[in-house]
Amino acid sequence: MSAASHGALGLTLCSSAFAGLGRAQLKALGQPGLPILEIEHPFGGRSRDEVRAIAHTLIAQIAAAASTATAGASAAGTSATSTSAAGGVEAVRAIALPSDAQAAHIECVRRRWSDGLPVIAPTPERVEAMIAARWPRDQLIATLAPGFGEATIERIATNAVLAGCEPAHLPVLVAAVEAVADSSFNLQAVQSTTNPVTTWLIVHGPVARALGVNSGANCLGQGNLANAALGRALRLILQNIGRAWPGEMDRATHGQPGKFAFCCGEVEIDHPWQPLHVERGFALADSAVTVIGASGTLNMNTHTKDADQLLDCIAHSMAFPGSNDYHYCGEPWLILSPEHAAVLAGAGLNRQQVQQQLWSRSMMTAGEFTHADFLRTASMRAAEFPQLTPQTRIPPSRTPADIGIVVAGGPGTHSVHVPTFGETRAVSRRVGVPA
Amino acid sequence: MSQTIEVLDPVAPARADTAPTARAAARSLRGATVGIIDNSKPNFSLLADDLERLLIEQQGVARVLRHRKSSASIGADAQVLAAIASESALVISGSGD
Repeated sequence: MSAASHGALGLTLCSSAFAGLGRAQLKALGQPGLPILEIEHPFGGRSRDEVRAIAHTLIAQIAAAASTATAGASAAGTSATSTSAAGGVEAVRAIALPSDAQAAHIECVRRRWSDGLPVIAPTPERVEAMIAARWPRDQLIATLAPGFGEATIERIATNAVLAGCEPAHLPVLVAAVEAVADSSFNLQAVQSTTNPVTTWLIVHGPVARALGVNSGANCLGQGNLANAALGRALRLILQNIGRAWPGEMDRATHGQPGKFAFCCGEVEIDHPWQPLHVERGFALADSAVTVIGASGTLNMNTHTKDADQLLDCIAHSMAFPGSNDYHYCGEPWLILSPEHAAVLAGAGLNRQQVQQQLWSRSMMTAGEFTHADFLRTASMRAAEFPQLTPQTRIPPSRTPADIGIVVAGGPGTHSVHVPTFGETRAVSRRVGVPA
Repeated sequence: MSQTIEVLDPVAPARADTAPTARAAARSLRGATVGIIDNSKPNFSLLADDLERLLIEQQGVARVLRHRKSSASIGADAQVLAAIASESALVISGSGD
């Protein structure tokens, strides 16, 4: 909406399947009256002649929209007036829910407050207990895309109650909200893309131990309060404050199960190297979170105890032609099991050497991509590869250090590849409460 | 069976509308400058080629300013967008596949 702020009329051409997203986005930006012209979906595969015909159809519509948009935009501008108090953040509204648990569950689903599963009713008393007077209720932590809702302490706490969190969990969520709002995380795209990307939350340091965040067996699975509630709460915050509801501004083609909850810790005792948060600049005694735009998980099961073969197995598992990391120059992640990490460390490899080996061994040739993805890669990675050919060898990231490694999991010969959305970078924030 | 409990709304309202509304658009695009932001999705550059030609030939647009985003998933460079918007009566962008 920078166009509007500079006085120009903004007009959006949307393929029909995404017109709803376009309208919702304009509304979120406070410009619901700006014109959207629809092109029948899908547009990208149309022939050259079909594109010409569409242009001829659109040109009259564009002229008409330009000549009539003033009234519409102005009217919409007045109708989208702020619900906030002047100069302040919007207070959280109180709403009546049925006191019967089953009826309340149905009502929460109807209001799209939940993820489809039952939630805890966020009564004022529970929200008050969640905040525990540690922050001002109306303190604004961030504004979350794509709906640009205000993530105040009270609203974060309300969603934390919904998700089943305890008061001790709230500082982690506050730090996570700060992290996802960092521009390098690219929350706007993470929330609204067709990709299955979700936010993987890693909790580090003393707070992870204190909360019992699972970093061991089944750490990405069910059965642990902190992992489940923290991951779920972050999802509900992104949905309810970021206003990314499925099918509306969350346009995921499939999504993924990790969109319910995706949270774990990192092992400490069995870690052969420095833990991730220390690698990312924190002290060992610091509590911190890291958020990652994760597009799924791929199990890598190998019984080998040979570091060279293990590196090949992992590297080849990272390489697949539909990977955003390769097309967009991403930041692929690995969750090494303690056993696999021990194999690598036992061969004398430190973290940087593992990253270097994986970076070199995971290169794909650009000819392995489809033609469309070859062209996309050529455009996106032109700075690295100005003369891309089908024979050019492409790593999944700009540098070896961009391959993220965390050590987690229980006994077993499994590690996990976490491909990312590509156009997102992991962000870490310290966890703390105001003094 | 109509007993209720009071809860707090977890949903943030839509952002306050602080952005200015569109300025009065010309009844005609004749003589105007039009901006086109190419979202870099397949076929959009071809559509932009066609629209640029038709805007000039059929609508009398004086000139078309084009900018191609590096990726559909990243917003247009703010400075580039500001420069185009400040010179244009109309800015056309694309969304979707």
